[in-house]
Amino acid sequence: MSKQFSRRDFLKLTGVGAATTAILTGCGPASRYVKREPYMQMPEYTYNGLSTYYATTCRECAAGCGLIIRTSQGRAIKTEGNANNPLNLGKTCARGQATLQGLYNPDRVTDPIKRKRGSANGSAIKWEEAAQVVANALKKNKPKEIAFLMGTAPDHLFDFASDLATAAGINAPVRFSALSMFESRATLIKAAENLFGKTGLPFFDVGGAQVVLSFGANFLETWLSPVAYTRGFAGLREAQTKQRGKFVQFEAALSSTAAKADEWIPLKPGTEAMVALAIGKLAYEIKGGPMPRAFSDVDPREAASTSGIKLETLEHIAEIFAQSTRALAIPGGAALGQSNGLAVAEAVLALNAIANNFGKPGGVYFSALAPNQTKYQGPASTQEMEEFIKKMKGGKFKVLFVHGVNPVFELPAAFGFKDALKGVKQVISFATFPDETALESDYVFPDHHGLESWGYQRVVTGSAQPVLSGAQPVVSPFHNTRATIDLLLAAGQLAGRKFASSFKDEVEFLQSKIAPLMSESDGFFSAPDINTFMAYFQQHGGWWKTADGRTAPETADVLSHNLSAAEAEFAGEGEFFFVPFVLPTLGEAGANKPWLQELPDPTTTVMWNTWVAMNPKTAEEMGIEDDDVVRIASEFGKLEASVYKYPAIRPDTVAMPFGQGHTAYGRYAENRGINPADLLGQNFNEAGDLAFAGVKVKIEKTGRKKPLSRLESIMGVYGVGLGGEE
Amino acid sequence: MIKSLFDWLKQPLGLIAVGIAALAFFSLASYGIHITQQTPEQPVQFPHRTHIAFGVQCLYCHPGGTRGPASGLPSQAKCWGCHQQIAKTNTSPLLAPLKQAVESGTPIQWVPVAQVPDFVQFNHRAHIAAGQNCENCHGDMTNLTIAQNPQVFNMGWCLDCHAKTAGEDHTKRVKLTDCGTCHY
Repeated sequence: MSKQFSRRDFLKLTGVGAATTAILTGCGPASRYVKREPYMQMPEYTYNGLSTYYATTCRECAAGCGLIIRTSQGRAIKTEGNANNPLNLGKTCARGQATLQGLYNPDRVTDPIKRKRGSANGSAIKWEEAAQVVANALKKNKPKEIAFLMGTAPDHLFDFASDLATAAGINAPVRFSALSMFESRATLIKAAENLFGKTGLPFFDVGGAQVVLSFGANFLETWLSPVAYTRGFAGLREAQTKQRGKFVQFEAALSSTAAKADEWIPLKPGTEAMVALAIGKLAYEIKGGPMPRAFSDVDPREAASTSGIKLETLEHIAEIFAQSTRALAIPGGAALGQSNGLAVAEAVLALNAIANNFGKPGGVYFSALAPNQTKYQGPASTQEMEEFIKKMKGGKFKVLFVHGVNPVFELPAAFGFKDALKGVKQVISFATFPDETALESDYVFPDHHGLESWGYQRVVTGSAQPVLSGAQPVVSPFHNTRATIDLLLAAGQLAGRKFASSFKDEVEFLQSKIAPLMSESDGFFSAPDINTFMAYFQQHGGWWKTADGRTAPETADVLSHNLSAAEAEFAGEGEFFFVPFVLPTLGEAGANKPWLQELPDPTTTVMWNTWVAMNPKTAEEMGIEDDDVVRIASEFGKLEASVYKYPAIRPDTVAMPFGQGHTAYGRYAENRGINPADLLGQNFNEAGDLAFAGVKVKIEKTGRKKPLSRLESIMGVYGVGLGGEE
Repeated sequence: MIKSLFDWLKQPLGLIAVGIAALAFFSLASYGIHITQQTPEQPVQFPHRTHIAFGVQCLYCHPGGTRGPASGLPSQAKCWGCHQQIAKTNTSPLLAPLKQAVESGTPIQWVPVAQVPDFVQFNHRAHIAAGQNCENCHGDMTNLTIAQNPQVFNMGWCLDCHAKTAGEDHTKRVKLTDCGTCHY
């Protein structure tokens, strides 16, 4: 500071200046800047100034958690879990919390539009014309040329489409989602079928267990039913009434789930089956008795050296597993997404036979079937989607209806879904948001947002009781959208004959599906007539039974199966194992919700972008720094992403989150990050699931840098900013 | 530099300059405070006195008073319920904003008048239950068109009435003048 004008003088002047500015500007009652907008039509039961709460169901994934939405003056303002819904007991995950933000997304499809495929512009048409388009599509094509492709939610639309298909001879609707692809559902179900002789989705009672060994199942992130499993985890760790449980996670890269484990075992990808059987053998040796066929072929020493885990570690884990009264082993995630995924699932399920936990607290069950469900119906496996795409390419479908799924983005590019659309004469999308598939459609007849919709969702796993979670609109629809069932009913009337249905609207259809529950016993409420029953159904957010509906698997001969300990085979010549994982903040469809984009990834704190997690030693050897852009190439594709030096990953492995890389889907999602699914291709395991972790990649430097936005500071990490950079 | 400035200010010319600056400052400040106390403009020139003259009760449009914290504003449907049957709705320029809002489906953007800061947890229900009438705080609406605050809603004014209502009753006085009653 100069001699003439000291720091003290500067501060004095600033102070006076600031005070003057504050007084002369912006003085007025706060009311001038606030406006109150009353209801247009206030519902009778609403009190001014008090919020109205509605029970509904989340549609962000297939789990079907019950929600209570707080609304004020006709606007939804907060999501909370429904405390009475047995699946989530009042809790929600981040994706459920952010479903509210999707309602207000500025890029929502606001009217039915007709477009030229691939062009962002379309012209709005009237709903009457839209209904006629659908009616023509139904009656002018042969029934077997009509196809429905749907997401894993909502169930009531799937039921409607199934009934329409049965009545009119149309192809039964096919369901798919990226989450089901990365969860390897088909593998889990097939393994359970092979070992237990029954088709159903297994449920792992983490809450009642004392020792949990998870082989790749990231149940604290997005796996199967994250809220229920997270609650189970809380039960495992609870130490007031019992001993705190132990959790060991086996996977090549430390996920957010592994970060909560007592021990993370970074085994070599492909050796999970071998390691599981080795632990089984060692545990059986501790328990004593004749070695069963399942574990007789594996050599623990060989398993240790092949997988890179010390034999002592395997012995120690086998010991805690064998000596616990409530031990549980869970197969899932990337472990099943390999060529030998089915064998891995069987090997890990067999471990539970040592723990003798089938059908017992802390053990393996078959999930309770939802009310009105006679057998479990899962989504299509990726191999079944490949068949579907073949049919599309071959011109077998003249019209394709798409709802609740975005296959152009969710399926790997190598599957050629976008290209196969050329073989379909007419593509009609019911998308609420302008996603990639809607962009490639001839028409978009937008469905309401999940929070503006009626419906129900069957809870297929996570709850002991059978639950049918109900949905109702919490706000009047904001835009000129229409419930897809209402559109299909209108179109059915126009098309006539076997397409016409007797229901006047969606609610009448819902009532017809819910009415049979009135005669079911053991429900937590009942009513003599449908109107009263529906009122309770809406008020409580669904209907569920009071008794445990889970069943115990038949396990007489589980250990007499000949289980394979063979290593997985990997596609491609690269030197790195590639592990794509669903980003726990975004899930499969969260990229258009800025709340989720702003949520830092729990392990790396990166936001708004995709990264490649690489071991720092490997990076150092290759001369790669943080934020360097590298080219990752697999047999099926090439991508570029910034590097995040992540110590908690094997030096021979790289990991990439799935969720970004949209080329449409609105301003918050577009042109942000890359889609690791585009490095995958037609590479399946024995159950037909995609071997998404069965690919090896090459990494090349590009010489460019693109900084990742991290919540943690990069300063001080590996000497950055401390003058010690290399 | 500041020292030489202060020396000049002690001169007569300087003192006059200070005087003018102080005057300007205080007049601007009072003007600023004055405009905060002005009644805000409303999108519709709603005549409370006309409606009261027709026998409409306060609680008909502001029903929340007996039930909870906020009395609330009438929904558009409430206004339209009568006004769709009144011929003047189509002819009067005063009613044009209402007609336009209802027909286009846009809500009227009312400006709130009787406002207290966020740290004051005011609840209407307790006051109505205690037998207070609306006009005791919100003024005599039989003379007003759009809402106006008859006095400033500050803490001193609230406590005045609270203390008077408590009278000699010690328990009531403690409850009504305790900080936590309104600032929980």
